[in-house]
Amino acid sequence: MTALAAAPTPAIRAVPWSRLGWVVWRRYRTMLMATIGCLALIGVYLIVNGERMRAAYHATTSCRPVNAPSCAYAFQTFHDRYAQTGLIGAVLLFLPGIVGTFVGAPLLARELETGTFRYAWTQGAGRMRWAVALVVSGGLGVAVIMTAFGALITWHNQPLLDTGDVPRLHTTSFPETGTAAAGWALAGFALGVLAGLLWRRVVPAIVTAFAAWFGLAYLAATFLRQHYLAPLTTTSLDLPLKDVRISQWWSKGGVRVSTDHINTVLSAIGSQFSSDGGKVTVGVPGADVDPTQYLLQHGYTQITSYQPDGRYWTFQWIETGWLAALALLLLGAAFWLLRRRPA
Amino acid sequence: MNVIETAGLGRRYGSTWALRDCTLSIPAGHLVALVGPNGAGKSTLLNLVVGLTPPTVGEVTVLGGATAGSVAALDAIAFVAQDMPLYRHLSVADMLHLTGNLNLRFDAAYARRRLAELGIGNKQKAGKLSGGQQAQLALTLALARRPRLLVLDEPTAPLDPVARHDFMATVLTAMADDGVSVVLSSHLLAELERVTDYLVLISHGRVRVNDDVENLLACHRLVSAATPERLTGIAGEVIESNTMGSQTHQLIRLAAPDTALPPTCESRAVGLEELALAYLREGITLPTLSPAGASR
Repeated sequence: MTALAAAPTPAIRAVPWSRLGWVVWRRYRTMLMATIGCLALIGVYLIVNGERMRAAYHATTSCRPVNAPSCAYAFQTFHDRYAQTGLIGAVLLFLPGIVGTFVGAPLLARELETGTFRYAWTQGAGRMRWAVALVVSGGLGVAVIMTAFGALITWHNQPLLDTGDVPRLHTTSFPETGTAAAGWALAGFALGVLAGLLWRRVVPAIVTAFAAWFGLAYLAATFLRQHYLAPLTTTSLDLPLKDVRISQWWSKGGVRVSTDHINTVLSAIGSQFSSDGGKVTVGVPGADVDPTQYLLQHGYTQITSYQPDGRYWTFQWIETGWLAALALLLLGAAFWLLRRRPA
Repeated sequence: MNVIETAGLGRRYGSTWALRDCTLSIPAGHLVALVGPNGAGKSTLLNLVVGLTPPTVGEVTVLGGATAGSVAALDAIAFVAQDMPLYRHLSVADMLHLTGNLNLRFDAAYARRRLAELGIGNKQKAGKLSGGQQAQLALTLALARRPRLLVLDEPTAPLDPVARHDFMATVLTAMADDGVSVVLSSHLLAELERVTDYLVLISHGRVRVNDDVENLLACHRLVSAATPERLTGIAGEVIESNTMGSQTHQLIRLAAPDTALPPTCESRAVGLEELALAYLREGITLPTLSPAGASR
């Protein structure tokens, strides 16, 4: 347009990022302090409990002689006392989603809900710079805080892992440890930002974003995670407890056999495998032949597919990677909408 | 230079046009009153001008050609939205810092002086101020940006008469001191009459009046005669017509200020409020009282 060239002050520079950073700090410092305060409470609990657990584990492992019943009892007591994490375990599992959505959703939604966007977006900096400053600061804050938390939870869980019978890859301990904690928090943050822009109201945005985050976490745990790498298979009957079992079946001469076939064979000793994946044997009361041993003696092999504990960090990076990519995609969509959306 | 220029501008929300076919050019240096009934598209037009809303069709440029919402436009236009949005939990001092850091230019000394004169303390929370003080704070923040165009959307609607007067006094002082152009929307015609020198009137999403007040007053006359027939043949447009007793009164927009009127009729000048009211009533009265309908 020719008129644009005739604009009296064509060489206006943009408001510097440093100033916008200051604005974000001024605007959100109270919220930041409150968030850090709440998380510090959980952090202190984790440190105290982690130290207690370490002391208890040390006492257990230094029990001599190792085979004495009192030592076995001490180990069992340690396990019973600390392996069930209860309420705090549930809080930690949802923490990345809670932190992410509670920081992300109000970021744009509050401005839209209270009308202050009419002030903020008409200042010299303009709406895109303002939004970028907010989202980048918020995202970095969430990532830093949850990376620290992921490390803290990993540290906290270490004595349990040292026992060798708690799987790190398990659904209830994988997503909130390592780097995945930050990944899940960022995904929640991005969902929150987008929901806030669509709803234009804080509370529905938080609810929607958290529901979406929960759905995603459920899908990832149920269907996705076990396929990050092809599972290994073993014929061993005593796979270490720290490895995560995926499924189990029988084969003969290198060919997988059906549960029906196995049941036909087992009918000779009056036993049956239950139909759900062939894992559980149902013996006839009074029968003294172990069905598994019976099958092994008749040339059948039990095969277990599993994800080994050693893949923990590979899986962490894969999960963090796709979550970060998803977060960027969602934030990209939010910015695209923001640029086009009428006020 | 025109502070606002639009061509075929329209904005649609869903299937409803909030504003359409809006072609305007508002020269610099005026206090422009943007008038229209509720829902006429005033806020939509102002949102388009300040770049909050992109147009559905047409174009809007500001300050001699800058695209609305561009960096240059944002830098030079200060906007005070309806209901004075402020961060309620921030102190007055924080709001000053905030606005200062969101803009390249900010006259903090001016802002502090103004707020001190108004008795608004630095430590007070923006949300705890009275309605009048909030309006003054929002206006001060806008003026301290040293804009070339100040856009105010229904600024005085929530204020009591004293606060309204003080608010307008601040606006007029800024106009006199800095030469800032002002566009303000309102439906408080009586108040605007004293201060405005340019009128834009929107009705049913369309621009009906876009002119200098002096010009408008010169071109509009209320003519009266005993029969409507005596009023036909005047070069101009009948804006409003009604019959009271034996007399027919018509508000006519003359083709030119010196258009001749028939000797058989009386005529008088009209005030701005009277003139604007005639246009605002237009949509309602047109079907029954249009000159064509009246003469048939």
